[in-house]
Amino acid sequence: MKLDTTGLESFPTLLAPQNDVVGDLSAAPSFDLPNSNDFDGFLKEAIQMVKPAKGTTTLAFIFKEGVMVAADSRASMGGYISSQSVKKIIEINPYMLGTMAGGAADCQFWHRNLGIKCRLHELANKRRISVTGASKLLANILYSYRGMGLSVGTMIAGWDETGPGLYYVDSEGGRLKGTRFSVGSGSPYAYGVLDSGYRYDLSVEEAAELARRAIYHATFRDGASGGVASVYYVGPNGWKKLSGDDVGELHYHYYPVTPSTVEQEMVEATGA
Amino acid sequence: MSPSFDLPPKGGFSFDLCRRNAMLESKGLKAPTFLKTGTTIVGLVFQDGVILGADTRATEGPIVADKNCEKIHYMAPNIYCCGAGTAADTEAVTDMVSSQLQLHRYHTGRESRVVTALTLLKKHLFNYQGHVSAALVLGGVDVTGPHLHTIYPHGSTDTLPFATMGSGSLAAMSVFESKYKEGLGRDEGVQLVVEAISAGIFNDLGSGSNVDVCVITKGHKDYLRNHLLPNPRTYVNPKGFTFPKKTEVLLTKIIPLKEVEVIEGDAMEE
Amino acid sequence: MSIFEYNGSALVAMVGKNCFAIASDRRLGVQLQTIATDFQRISKIHDKLFIGLSGLATDAQTLYQRLVFRHKLYQLREERDMKPETFASLVSAILYEKRQFGPYFCQPVIAGLGDDDKPFICTMDSIGAKELAKDFVVAGTASESLYGACESMFKPDMEPEELFETISQALLSSVDRDCLSGWGGHVYVVTPIEVKERILKGRMD
Repeated sequence: MKLDTTGLESFPTLLAPQNDVVGDLSAAPSFDLPNSNDFDGFLKEAIQMVKPAKGTTTLAFIFKEGVMVAADSRASMGGYISSQSVKKIIEINPYMLGTMAGGAADCQFWHRNLGIKCRLHELANKRRISVTGASKLLANILYSYRGMGLSVGTMIAGWDETGPGLYYVDSEGGRLKGTRFSVGSGSPYAYGVLDSGYRYDLSVEEAAELARRAIYHATFRDGASGGVASVYYVGPNGWKKLSGDDVGELHYHYYPVTPSTVEQEMVEATGA
Repeated sequence: MSPSFDLPPKGGFSFDLCRRNAMLESKGLKAPTFLKTGTTIVGLVFQDGVILGADTRATEGPIVADKNCEKIHYMAPNIYCCGAGTAADTEAVTDMVSSQLQLHRYHTGRESRVVTALTLLKKHLFNYQGHVSAALVLGGVDVTGPHLHTIYPHGSTDTLPFATMGSGSLAAMSVFESKYKEGLGRDEGVQLVVEAISAGIFNDLGSGSNVDVCVITKGHKDYLRNHLLPNPRTYVNPKGFTFPKKTEVLLTKIIPLKEVEVIEGDAMEE
Repeated sequence: MSIFEYNGSALVAMVGKNCFAIASDRRLGVQLQTIATDFQRISKIHDKLFIGLSGLATDAQTLYQRLVFRHKLYQLREERDMKPETFASLVSAILYEKRQFGPYFCQPVIAGLGDDDKPFICTMDSIGAKELAKDFVVAGTASESLYGACESMFKPDMEPEELFETISQALLSSVDRDCLSGWGGHVYVVTPIEVKERILKGRMD
C-alpha cells in the first residue's frame, strides 16, 4: 500500500503525482527505519519520548444552535507540567475546529496539513469542504500511518452546508460521527458532567456553561488536565471563542470558600 | 501462640515487605532510588599517622540532595572511616561497628585496633554478598602504628600506604600516584589530601562542594570539618525574595504550647 | 512510573529564627486520578515534633502508626518526649531494618524544636539515610521544583510570619508545576510558644 506523505513535503503537491507507474517501485515513500534489532521495543521507547501532551481533556457536542467545543490547556511530561497555556483547540479554518489529544506534535502537524488540504479543496471546487469530507481526509491519512507510532485523538467540529458536524478521528484509523464526544485522560470525568447536563435544545449560554463545567470538573479530578478552560462555539457564521477561564479561579467561583476565623485551642488540651 | 508485638530491636534486617514489593515491581512499578554518595574519599599514611579526606556531596540520581554532608564517620577515638556508596549503608555499617568497638573497649579496657574494625566491617559486608553497598576507606593509629585499609562492598580489603574510593577515585588517585612519597610531613600530607579531593570535586560529577579532612596521629586526632570551602554560594540575592501576591489562607488554627495569654487572631490575610 | 509517584505528594520544611515550618500539599491520588483533596501527610508526634511522610500513602500510614507506637513506649519508659534528633534516629533505624528489597516507599521529613527550642529539620531516603540540613529540606513528587523554589526564596533567620509566607509560596509555586501534587496546602509554623496550623488556598487542578 502506498503511504500518503504529502504532508511531509515542504510544499503541497498541487497536481497528482505524475510518476504513478514507476513511482511505487523506485521511490516508495516510507519512514526510515531506526537502526535497531528490537524494533518494537525501540518504537515503544521512542513514542514515550515524543509524547509531551498525553494528559488532556477535550470535548465537543452538537446542540440546537451549533457545536460547542472546549478543552483544557495543560501539557505534561510524566508528572511534570511543561505548560499551562497550550492551545488545544486548533483553528483549521473559520468554519472548522480540531481538538488536540495525544501527541502534541502529531496533532498540530496533521491539523495544519488538514487545513492545507481543506483550502485546496475550496480552491478546486469553489465551495467549502464538508465536515464529513475533512474528517475523512484526516482519517485516511492517519489510517495510512497506522501502527507507525502516531498518537492522535481528535475531534473535527464545524459548520457546513448540512449544518453542524462533529466527528471523532483517532490514530488507530477510527472515525465516528456523533453528537457528543470527549477525548483525553480527563474524558471520563467530563462525560459525567456532559451526559447529565446535556439537552439538544440548550441555548448557546447554557451550552457554553455546560462545556466549561465539564472541563472544570475534569481538571479537578484529573492530574494531567488543568490550566485554562477555553470554550469555542461554531455556528452558521463560523467559530467564535466564547471564553477562556483560569481553572484556578473557576474552582473558587463554582465553590466559593469563606475563610473562617482563627480557631483557638484551649491551653489545657495540650501540654505533655 | 505468642502475640506478635511490634517491639524494639531484634537486630538484623526484616524481610516482611519483600513479597509485596516484588509483586509491585512485577506489575511494572519502578523500584526506588536511594540516596547515594557518588563520592571522592581518600586516605594516606604520613610520617606520624593517617590522614583521611572526603568531599561533601550527596546525590539522588541527578539531584544534589545534600551539599554539605559528612562522609568521614567516627569508628573509635583513634579510628575514622570514609564511606562511599549508598548513604544509608555506609552510615548504618559504620555506626554498627563503632558501637561494637565501644562495647569491646568496655570489655577489654584497651584502645581499639584498626584491624578489629576492619574485620568487623568486612565480615558484615561479606555476609551480605555485596547487597550492603558500602565502599570504605578505614584509617587509624593504634598500638601497632598507623594503618590504612580500603574495603569493597563484597568484603574484600586492601592495605595500602595511600588509597582512594568512590566515583572520583580515579581523579584522586592520579594526584596520589604522581605526588605521594613516603615520610610526608603533616602539612604536606594534608595538602596532598586536599589536592586529591579537589581533583575529585572538580573533575567528577558525583563529587562536589567542600573538603573534609581528618588527621589521626598517635593519641590525637584533628577532625577538620569543611577544611576547605572551594565552592561558596555566589548567587544569593542580597535583597531577599519579594512575593508579588500574599498567600491566601482559608483556615488558621492556633495551639498554644505554654500557659500564655491568647494571641490575636486575624484570620484572612488577602 | 515509580512507586513513589503512585499517590503524589509534596513536602517541605524550613528553619527560621527559633522556629520552624513544615508544609505539605493536600492531594491523595491514584496515579493521575485525584481521590481526596484533604489528605493529611504531616502528623504530630508531640507538641514540638512533626513528621511528614511523602511517597506511597499506605506505607506512610503504616509507618506513622509504628512510629507513634514506638514514641509512646519511649514516653512510658522515659517519662519525657523524644528529642527530634533521637526521633530521627528511630525513624532511620526502622527504615533501615527493611533495607534489602523491602523498604517502605516513604521519604520522611522530620521537623522539631529540640533542647532550648533549637529548630531541627531532617529528611531521609526510603532506607533511612539521614540528611541533616540547616536551611530547608524537601521530599515528594514535586521535590525537584521545591529544591529550586527553596534555593531562591529561603534566607536564614526568618521570623515566624515571614517564614510562613516563604514556605507557602515555595510550596504553592512548586506544586503548580507538578501533576501529582497540589490541590491546596497545609502549613504548620511552630514557635516555642505556639503552633499555628494553616490551610492554604491553592489551584485545584
